[in-house]
Formats: sequence, structure tokens, C-alpha cells
Amino acid sequence: MSEDRYLTFALGKGRLANKTIELFEKIGITCEGMKDKDSRRLIFTNEELKLRFFLAKGPDVPTYVEYGAADIGVVGKDTIMEENRRVYEVLDLGYGRCRMCVCGPRSSEDLLKHHEMIRVASKYPNIAKDYFYNKKHQTVDIIKLNGSVELGPIVKLADVIVDIVETGSTLKENGLEVLEEICPLSARMIVNQVSMQMEPVRIRKLIQEIRKNL
Amino acid sequence: MSTKLVHTPEGVRDIYGEEKAKKTVVEGLLHKIIAGYGYRDIQTPTFEFFDVFSKEVGTTPSRELYKFFDKEGNTLVLRPDFTPSIARCAAKYFMDEDVPIRFCYQGNTFTNASELQGKLKESTQMGAELIGDASVQADAEMIAMTIEALWHAGLNDFQISIGNLEYFKGICAEAGLDEDTELELREYISGKNYFGAEELLDRTKADKKDKELLLKVSELFGPAAILEDAKKAATNRRSRDAVDRLEKVYQVLCEYGVEKYVSFDLGMLSKYNYYTGIIFKGYTYGVGDAIVKGGRYDNLLKRFGKDAPAIGFMIVVDDLLSAMNRQGVEIPIDDDILKLYYTEKDFEEKLREARQLRLADKKVELLPRP
Repeated sequence: MSEDRYLTFALGKGRLANKTIELFEKIGITCEGMKDKDSRRLIFTNEELKLRFFLAKGPDVPTYVEYGAADIGVVGKDTIMEENRRVYEVLDLGYGRCRMCVCGPRSSEDLLKHHEMIRVASKYPNIAKDYFYNKKHQTVDIIKLNGSVELGPIVKLADVIVDIVETGSTLKENGLEVLEEICPLSARMIVNQVSMQMEPVRIRKLIQEIRKNL
Repeated sequence: MSTKLVHTPEGVRDIYGEEKAKKTVVEGLLHKIIAGYGYRDIQTPTFEFFDVFSKEVGTTPSRELYKFFDKEGNTLVLRPDFTPSIARCAAKYFMDEDVPIRFCYQGNTFTNASELQGKLKESTQMGAELIGDASVQADAEMIAMTIEALWHAGLNDFQISIGNLEYFKGICAEAGLDEDTELELREYISGKNYFGAEELLDRTKADKKDKELLLKVSELFGPAAILEDAKKAATNRRSRDAVDRLEKVYQVLCEYGVEKYVSFDLGMLSKYNYYTGIIFKGYTYGVGDAIVKGGRYDNLLKRFGKDAPAIGFMIVVDDLLSAMNRQGVEIPIDDDILKLYYTEKDFEEKLREARQLRLADKKVELLPRP
């Protein structure tokens, strides 16, 4: 409604953010301060277009957007699925492509064919639970790990893992392989529901411009 | 102090002091407007039989309901929203009534939502239901009343977004989508997820024209001008009727003079199954979700044995308050309490004085002189 309101973007830190900044530059949205790696500032402003940007940890991006602390966010599909927040998911930006998979040693493949109880380690307990309960109808024990999930099957903490696979080289080096694919992943643009309803014209224009440049 | 005893469970909280005073004031302001339209107060029980809120009636998913048993083994549920209760009540006591009935309610609702997402499990709702009136004027009255109530409470910067489920359903029927696909598509469209919908539709047998049309629905939102686009886009009768209805409602809203707060969203598809036609939501800055939800539910009362059209809305009072708080809206609270100090000797005299002041509508607190 009000013309002088800033539109705030929350970008997931890391490679996604760099790609996103590149994409925004293509449609004429620049934010100089953002590219300076040594800067300690947390929030950057483009006064001309009335835009603000900040970097956040991936899993926090949907939270910022849901509460309207940011109007728009860019984050991986994995995070959106795991966090399950009430936001509009408006665009598949196409980069950051990878897959969410069930992985394990070849010997575990058989465990997925029957409905027996198995142990699943994952950084994404909600995604793992949804897949096994609602799609495969298999009852499983889910163990939440916070990193190096590949260790799970190796040290016999779990039978299989649910994790992101990009090239598969980490898996291979550790004697694991993709057993089942859950879904493809990529970077997504999400929008706060209230912002979308309050400023439909401005945000829709932005979405359409980005879509043209994908 | 026992540190364990002073905590409340997650999702519920104490409201006291200035905050409670403000809440009472805002509730009063909202209620005044609703009562001004001739809505009568109604109170239904805090818990009811499970079946009133079951999947067929379609409100909250079963796992988000607080359930317990009575001595006879019946499953009881703490109400997650009011509408089914009001529908049940109306069907029971006003079975033979032919004239429209207007109800206003206020109370707490309970949903066992997920932990650590900062959402309240107990929240106060105020709302109204108009039963037995299927007219355009009834739709408009609901929406205009919502706007007036929010405005009267002190909120200025807000939008009521109106949709009509029939528009989407008409296109789905024409495209010949099966129920499962329609449900999945509904999820994508209401999430404004264009590419998700596109992917899903590519897997179905629907023809290209219908696909494009269905995808367009997710983009049909904004000011009243989009109704024109919506009308052009849809060729089937059902969808056209749906837009016609919205146009008529808009006309009446213009007569109320509230069109400034109104926009349209044909991709708005509520997860509540009982809504049948017009649905609307109210948005404002400062909270993540809609603060008002409402719509037409012409088939719900039939479930309880009375065939009558109905429309209603509810305001999430707690969310409204936190939005007003974040937007810096002043809420005038009457906090003037006179203090009268007494000693043992002059108590009688002070008491008389206090009584007189109270009769004159003053608030008086009697305190021993320190």
C-alpha cells in the first residue's frame, strides 16, 4: 500500500546467496555492499529501489519470511519441506539443483522392500518421517543428526540415511549409494502471505521479471 | 517460589496488566460494531463430541485436536473453531426458523499445533455467523462488517482479500481432474506455487487450454480490475457465475464505501472443507497469517439436519492485538483508579466517600494508610 515501504529479502547464506545476487543483477537489482566478503554489516539497503537484503542461516529463512521480518526469501526446497512454514512458494529458481535421497550400503536395499522397522538417520527428520510414513507406509525410527550423516550406517547407528545428494562422491568414498530418490531439490523463492496480499502489484511484477530471466 | 510451578505449558500464556486491559478494550470495540448489525450473542460449550469437528465436517486435522474421553468412553474435543458448534446449535434450536438468524460469539479456541514455531495453542476468536440468507447482500454485510470492526478497533492499514471457490472448482470440473489431483492442485494454487502446479498438471491428461487456465488462477489476485481478467479467462458457466457474484458483492461493498480495503484473490482456496462459495481473509502487517478468516458454508448445516445457507467470519483477537502493537496503534485504556487511604479511625467516612465515587462511575481502590 504505502510507496515508501522497504521490501526486505532474506537470503540463505552460501552459494545460493551468490547465485541469487547474480540473478538479481540481471534484472537490474543491485546491492553493492552484499558482495564485499569482509563486511560485517548484517543488512544492506538499495535506497533507490527501496529494497533491503540480509543473509541468514538457511533454515531460518522461512521463519523470517513467515513472520514478515522479511517479505521475500530465497532458500533450498529441502529447508522449505523440513520447516513446513506458512509461506507462498512462488518460484523455482532452478539453481542449486540436487536430490533428496535415501542412501545406505547396498546391503540395506532389502530393508526398504518390506515394511519392517528400520533406523533412519537424517538432518531432516520431518522429510524422512513424511517419506517413510506417508509415501512408503513403513514404520521407522528416526535419529536426528546434525552433520556428517554418512557416518550413521558406517558405525551402525542407523540402517539408512536421508540426505541431500549432489554428485554422490561423498557417498561413494564411504561405500554408500543412493537407494531411493525422494524428490529433486533446487533454490526456491518464497513470499510472506501478508506482503503478497498487501502489495500484489509490486511483488507480482518482480516475480514475472525474474521468471523471464531464468 | 517453586520454579517449576510458575511456568505455563508451551503454547498457552498469561495475559495481564496493560495487555489484558487493551484486549478487553479491543474486544469491546469489535463487539460494538457486530452488535450494531443486529447480531445476538451466543455461547456454545468449550468441548463437544468429536464428530462435530470430524474430517467430514472438515475443520482441523484430527491430530491437531485436543481429545479426551468422558466416563462413558465418548471422545470429546476442545473446540478448534466455532463455526461447526454454531451450525450444530442453530440446527438444533432454530430448526423451523425461516428468517435469517444472526449470531455473534467470542471465546477461546484450541489447536494442538506443532511445537517451537511460536504459535499459540489457545487463542481468542470473535466472530459472527449469518444463517439462512444466501443473498449477495449477506456476503457484503459480512465483509463490510469485518472492515468496519477492524477499523473501529483502530487498525488502518489492512486488506480484505476475497475469493470464490466456485471459480476454481468450475475450471477443475471442465478439465476433468480427479479428486486427488484437485486436492493436490488446490494446495499448490493456494500457496501461489505456480511451478508446482505446472509440474502436477503436466502429469495429468488435461488439455493445454485448461492447464493454462488452471495455472492462471494462481496469478489472479490484486485490485478489483483482476475480476475482468478472470471473467475473460474462464469460459465455463460455473466460473463465470463465480466472478459475477464477486462483482455484485463488490458493488454492494462500494455502496458501503469500504472498497478501499478490498482486493480479490481467486487462488484463495481454504483448507477448511466446509466453505462453499465466497471466502475472504484479512491481512495486515506485523503477523504472518491472516487475522480474519471467513466465508460461505451452505452445506454445513445440512450435516446437522437443517438445510440452510450460511456465511460467517472470525477475527483472531490475539493476532489483531499483536499486529496493532507492532504497528504502534494506540489503544485507549481507562486506567484511572482513584486511591483512597484510610486509617482504622476514619474507615467509615472513607468507605462512604468511596461508595459515592463508585456510584458516579469512578474506579476507587481503598488502601490502608501506610
